[in-house]
Amino acid sequence: MHQVSSNITFIFTGLLVAMILSLAFEEKLHAKKSVIVGLFAVITLLCAAIFGLVHPETVQILGHPITLPVYIPGIDWEVIAIILGSSLFVDVTSKCGLFTWIAIKLTKASGGDPLKLLIFYGVMTVVFSAVLNNVTAMIIVGTLSGVSLAKLRLTNKLLGFLLIEGLLTNVGGMLTLISSVPNIIVGNTAGITFVTFFIKASPYVAVATAVTIWMGARLFNIQRLQNDAAKAEAATLVAGFDENDGIESAGFFRFGTAMTGLFIVAMATVSITPYIKELGMGYVALAFAAIMLTRYKATADRFYQAIDWDLLAFFGGLFIVINMMEHALVLNLIGDGLTPIIDLGETLGTGVLLVAAAVASSVTDNIPLAAMLAKILGGMNLPSDSPFWWAVIFGANLGGNLTPIGSASTLVAVTIIHKNKLPMSFVTFVKAALPFAVVQLALAAAFVLIFLR
Amino acid sequence: MTNLDQFESVFKSADKAVFTYERAAFNRILLVSDMDTTAAEGIAERVRAFLSTIEQATTDWSILTGKDFDSIQSLLERIEEHKPDLIVTYRHLHSAAWQWPHSLGEYLDVMTQATSVPVLVLPHPDANYALPHTVSETSRVMAITDHLTGDSQLVNIALAFTKSEGSCWLTHVESQIVFDRYLESISKVPALDTEIARETLHDQLLKEPKDFIKACRVVIEQEDVAVQIEEFVTMGEPVEQYGKLIDDHKIDLLVLHTKDEDQLAMHGAAYALAVELRAIPLLML
Repeated sequence: MHQVSSNITFIFTGLLVAMILSLAFEEKLHAKKSVIVGLFAVITLLCAAIFGLVHPETVQILGHPITLPVYIPGIDWEVIAIILGSSLFVDVTSKCGLFTWIAIKLTKASGGDPLKLLIFYGVMTVVFSAVLNNVTAMIIVGTLSGVSLAKLRLTNKLLGFLLIEGLLTNVGGMLTLISSVPNIIVGNTAGITFVTFFIKASPYVAVATAVTIWMGARLFNIQRLQNDAAKAEAATLVAGFDENDGIESAGFFRFGTAMTGLFIVAMATVSITPYIKELGMGYVALAFAAIMLTRYKATADRFYQAIDWDLLAFFGGLFIVINMMEHALVLNLIGDGLTPIIDLGETLGTGVLLVAAAVASSVTDNIPLAAMLAKILGGMNLPSDSPFWWAVIFGANLGGNLTPIGSASTLVAVTIIHKNKLPMSFVTFVKAALPFAVVQLALAAAFVLIFLR
Repeated sequence: MTNLDQFESVFKSADKAVFTYERAAFNRILLVSDMDTTAAEGIAERVRAFLSTIEQATTDWSILTGKDFDSIQSLLERIEEHKPDLIVTYRHLHSAAWQWPHSLGEYLDVMTQATSVPVLVLPHPDANYALPHTVSETSRVMAITDHLTGDSQLVNIALAFTKSEGSCWLTHVESQIVFDRYLESISKVPALDTEIARETLHDQLLKEPKDFIKACRVVIEQEDVAVQIEEFVTMGEPVEQYGKLIDDHKIDLLVLHTKDEDQLAMHGAAYALAVELRAIPLLML
């Protein structure tokens, strides 16, 4: 390990704290995440150069040494490729109408019964969060909830539906390795494969989903329709939905459906597929996006315009900042702080780390937290089946359910709530979500300690 | 990447208006005329033949002649006494203004707005501008409105007046002038792509009535109603387009909404249609 004076480490620690606080107060600052993190990336790079911490890095590509500025190899391009490819793939695939077809089919299958709708929408939120991503899942299920409950004249139940769906996005986000960014970052660092991740996480997701829906139905008084007249009226109303309306062409629908299935299989088998394992999940995601874009080859630029550049720039800046923190030994300092927790052992230590990660990710973005903790735990040479990895994954995902700013999908849920002119302040959200988050975290701690240790 | 509005639009578009079939019944029919008893009875006889489709054995026919009312107030009082399900009349009662095609006449104007009863307006008996085939049968009935989607009542009434094995035209003409005016504004907004707006808005405006007509067809077939459903959905100038349809297909009766919950005056383009389409009977709801 190189030598860095403690003063320099403290200066960089101050910068890291300032960045985290700025992200926590993102809305007050009226600044996009990418701008905040980008600015801190510029400052930390300059400070690192002034203090002589970084130099151009030489990497070997096909045997040729290439010198790159430090901020290029500092970025985890595999993560960027997965996010860019998956997002583009999902965006283009959603045009085939598959996801809205499923959503409307389930709405009609419920017959307009509020409790059945809650169960169907809850399970759909979890599955969509796992297959797509939690933000897209919340957008699809949340907007459908607004439209269908208005049609059923059940807008008084909409708040409960949206809150439960918002909380379930973060549960569903734990189902697969690519369901959320913290999973991708921590899973990649730990070396957890797609299949292992799914096998280990899915029992918890199933139980947490059932418990969350059950609690939601009780707390928000969402019950089955009691009499035949009400059932018949509700069934007539939802029968008006046409699941085929959003399907541009039957051929593209079938193609999109097949590609979605193939995408999941390809992602799940990356680590065992010859040739592909050399290229990684980022390649698979980008390749599927490219194939889907052939359907819109003449207007592909519309999808490029729709890419969330703020998110991608945020990741780029974040990786640079974390890389600089590594050079300034800030991560070692935090790692030293974590050592007592790790030293508590795999039982108490895992539980404390899970809760600490949840609390931290509830007040700031869970992505920097996951990236930092992954880097720190990676430096400790923990095996890929260590429960500490799972403590970070569960904590970083579920912490988002404690506050409305804890995850992007709960923020989307609150946006839909406000769009429907329903009252929901920061405090109201915390009060409503706290019982769910506490139960989910307690279940997670028990699950990790019993089954993943 | 995917945004809220995008999916909200998809789901709102998928939420189709449902057509509910219900057989409309007209048990009490009141003919309002400004003529003497003999002439009014002559008109009544012709109207009964014309409306044979809706007439039942128990249908109660009444006639108001020119002597029965001399003001709008007294006419409204007579209507209130009779409590009809359908009023049959013509433009320009107690007036010679029928010679100028610029208005409905004060009686009809108030009658259509002050009562909730459908009013069947015949071509004026003294005028000779009625098309030769009119007021004889209702084999070809046309329902027109500036917003067809979800209007089960309009379709049910049009079906009730259509003779068995006849044709019921469900039509919608989206105003080209209004559409162009909005697009003119959109073309001045840098944030909106004018060509995308033109294409998507045009398609969506016509898709909604088409979807509703499709829903109507399904239910009408299920209910085994012996009426052929015809569709006409387009963008253009409503009075011109409807006039052309009437001529081309020899339409016997037009059915349209005239009331607007938000205003006292006649609904949307209904006034222009009611004034200008004088050659065939109009059923004003």
